[in-house]
Amino acid sequence: MPRARLFWLRVFCVRVGLLPVFCLLLSCNRASERSLTIAVNAGVEGTALKMAASEWGAARGVRIEVVELPYANLFEKEQLDLTSRTGAYDVIMMDDPWFPRLGEEGNLTPLPRAPDADFVAPCLDVCRNPYRTGKYYALPYVGNSQLFFYRGDLFTRYNLAAPRTWDDVLAAARKIGAPGNPPNEKMYGYVMRAASGNAVVADFMPLLWAFGGDVLDSASKPACDSPAAVDALRFMLELGKYSPPGYAGFNADEVSAHLLESTAAMSINWPAWIAAMDDPAKSKVVGKIAFAPMPSQRVPGVGELGTWLLAVPAASRHAADAFDFMFWATDAPQMKQAALRGNPPTRRSVFQSPDLAAKFRAFPVQLASLESSRPRPRTAQWNEIENAFGIYLSKANASAMEPAAAMRDAAHDIAQIVNRGR
Amino acid sequence: MTQRRPHLLGASGLPWILPAVAVLLALSIYPLIYAVKVSLTGPGGAFTFANFARLAGDRVFAAAGVQTLVLTIAALIIEFTLGLALALLIDSLARAKSFFRAGLLIPMLLPPVVAAVAWRLIFNPQFGVLNGTLRELGLNTASLLWTGGDRSALASVILVDVWEWTPFLFLLLSAGLQAIPPEPVEAARIDGAGAWQIFRDVTLPLLRPVILLALLLRAMDLVRIFDQIFILTQGGPGTATETVSLYIYRTAFRFSNFGYAAAMSFVLLAATMVFARGLAQIMRPRTAGVR
Repeated sequence: MPRARLFWLRVFCVRVGLLPVFCLLLSCNRASERSLTIAVNAGVEGTALKMAASEWGAARGVRIEVVELPYANLFEKEQLDLTSRTGAYDVIMMDDPWFPRLGEEGNLTPLPRAPDADFVAPCLDVCRNPYRTGKYYALPYVGNSQLFFYRGDLFTRYNLAAPRTWDDVLAAARKIGAPGNPPNEKMYGYVMRAASGNAVVADFMPLLWAFGGDVLDSASKPACDSPAAVDALRFMLELGKYSPPGYAGFNADEVSAHLLESTAAMSINWPAWIAAMDDPAKSKVVGKIAFAPMPSQRVPGVGELGTWLLAVPAASRHAADAFDFMFWATDAPQMKQAALRGNPPTRRSVFQSPDLAAKFRAFPVQLASLESSRPRPRTAQWNEIENAFGIYLSKANASAMEPAAAMRDAAHDIAQIVNRGR
Repeated sequence: MTQRRPHLLGASGLPWILPAVAVLLALSIYPLIYAVKVSLTGPGGAFTFANFARLAGDRVFAAAGVQTLVLTIAALIIEFTLGLALALLIDSLARAKSFFRAGLLIPMLLPPVVAAVAWRLIFNPQFGVLNGTLRELGLNTASLLWTGGDRSALASVILVDVWEWTPFLFLLLSAGLQAIPPEPVEAARIDGAGAWQIFRDVTLPLLRPVILLALLLRAMDLVRIFDQIFILTQGGPGTATETVSLYIYRTAFRFSNFGYAAAMSFVLLAATMVFARGLAQIMRPRTAGVR
């Protein structure tokens, strides 16, 4: 082989050979450094956690890396990380319906000690596997539960009492949404989310529960074709008559736009929207929206729980630091900071703190709602069940199916999903 | 005569293409084989056709398949007709061709997600600019629900796709028109052919290869449409705008059922190949009796 070729071949081999050595040195340098990688939701919940992580990292001398992802992508990434045991994340933020799926097969690390009793009970129950009785695998960070939003000023104008039952809601919707009442004011009595999937299911669950129905029975068999469930859906369609046209495609932003623009009087909504309602830059209804726990009907009303949890993946290489951060971030002083940054707390003492109660007028109702809130069915297949259920609810709201047929077909599809999971 | 230079590592040069082959195998062939394996694997790791068998009784998959087909055919016909009309119109202009070409390309240059978000706002029945404009013109918009209506949702999605991707067909067809030599057209004109005859018997046959390419590229894109629908309707109301790609995404990443998602992907791949083959057959030049 000619000398020139041999020379270049040697150069090539030396460079290729040096590459792993360089990578090894780099990784050794990184390994010696204390670090924590946190996966957070891109939104107000994640923003508060990001700020807390930055403060904790500075105080403890730990390098913090925050991976911020939109809601849907967060679930995908976390699931891939947990099932593949990559150890990419040390702390993960998850919505509580994800917990049964993400927490199965030992994918999460149990907490080193039990959380204290200051946390609101429904928020703690969803951190255990099995639900309510098992070991703790997570800590509740954001205390979300649905609230009933209504226009206090309109209720006063029409001599209506705060709605206590769904019948009260329907009667108020009829009265407030009556044509030409008053002239030049376009006001829909009610507005709801009925877009396929999570949106319509979230707005239907409080109705379903208030009518005494459920998606699954105690044996995890479909129960959504029960007379109570069909009645609840019929009631939802009745409310739909007083909702803006096209509500069958509405998501959270459309519902809140109607409230903010003063074109709808009532809706089910989440605490994250409270601040916007009282923000003059965004809202035409500052100080006019009142908040109530979920109305009752055949049984006492309950809102859906939507707590954001913090957990440590089993493959995390920095579990000790991760737990230190989690307990620190969910301790009362830090949770108070998070509340000031816009996150609903999960601790009773923070809700009842006088300075916060003076600042956040909905806190007493939020606490009452959170205390009585109910989680979505604790099954690893909830995403698939919710999707199937949501398709038929959305079809009924779009007048594409009769309520009884929609519930019967939903029960059929859910039964197939449940059977596949056995 | 130039002497052929010998390769650095032997005469064959094979070692130099091996890395590229390895990359191709790793990134393209291996995932395909792995997907086949996943689609044929049951919950316990056993070999099974259950994922393919399940497709036969899946109502959502059937609805998604029909909607994907309707959307593909409808959007393809409208986009092609509009694209060709625009290409002919602008090609016939004496001036300002470049200005119109550049202007028409703007929708295509927008990221599909951005376009979909904008259209979602435009379609809002109460606050959207579309119904607002129609109301200003004195029309009753109470029944115009766009993406919120069971019957209008798919049409709304098609409208957005036509708005965004007609420029793509216009661009290809316009380039095709420019590449047609002037002689056959001039000869036809001298022979007394009218404008319609020239278009039908000269321009269109010469444009056929470009039309086939444009339709094939667009059809393959339409079959796997995802981002616009994900933003606009999430497949709803009900399953009114559910497409196969959206259902595959949900099955894999929301329901964690990668086997079933892989099985659906292979059915979609087969359907796309059949569709493309059918399109190529339709567009094949009919040369019988012409030499």
